[in-house]
Amino acid sequence: MKNELENLVALQDLDLMIKELKEVEQLGFEVKSEGSETLKKARKEMIAKIHKPLLGNYERLRKRYKRAIVPIKDDKCLGCFMKLPTYLLTHMKRDEQVITCEGCGRILYWLN
Amino acid sequence: MAISDLISFFREDLFFSDFKAKTKAAALNQLTEKFVDAGIVKNKELVAEMLQRRESIGSTGIGKGIAVPHGRTTAAPNLTIAFAKMGSGIDWDSMDGNPVHLIFLVIAPPFEENNLYLPVLGRLVELLSNESNRNQLNEVSSFEEFTEILTQ
Repeated sequence: MKNELENLVALQDLDLMIKELKEVEQLGFEVKSEGSETLKKARKEMIAKIHKPLLGNYERLRKRYKRAIVPIKDDKCLGCFMKLPTYLLTHMKRDEQVITCEGCGRILYWLN
Repeated sequence: MAISDLISFFREDLFFSDFKAKTKAAALNQLTEKFVDAGIVKNKELVAEMLQRRESIGSTGIGKGIAVPHGRTTAAPNLTIAFAKMGSGIDWDSMDGNPVHLIFLVIAPPFEENNLYLPVLGRLVELLSNESNRNQLNEVSSFEEFTEILTQ
């Protein structure tokens, strides 16, 4: 079972798929006529698994930025490139909780 | 972007000239595992979910024995392509109904610096629409040979 952050990541992945569906089809890949509806239905099911305040934050961030969830690299937020404070990184590693960047507010994701 | 530029997205540790899988699901699962083994992705479940979802809206089997499963995932740090060649073809629910022998698995992050995901998919389709390239790829046995085909 996925944790909250993983559910959010899966939601962002799904939103990207919905966004690029037409472009992928134009490249010659098969996309069923009901493909878009299938993905929208999957999205509805997915958002039901996410707590409303978190989902609200994700939706707000998605409107503001191209991506609401960004990875951390070299202890930096890859959205705004601000160096993240040690306590935040420790907290995130330990508790696997949803943490946002203090600089830009994006949701942070640890890649490895 | 030229076809030869595709080389930079392949890796020797994700090149399999004698790949074995019995079904599409097994092939996707095994290749996703290889991405984990190579240290490219940490969370196999997220990648597998994304790939299965992509297949659910239309097969990535583009015909002529080739499949190009693909997708963006927040769990991927870089755009990376795995190549797998199978002696025994597997059903991929392809456009032409033929079994798949060659798999190009493309995994990309949500946004890359140069936004190359769609151009890469386009160049791959172009590369694979050429019969001579397909024939050579079906015979390839080393990563060196593979990169030579891409630079021709």
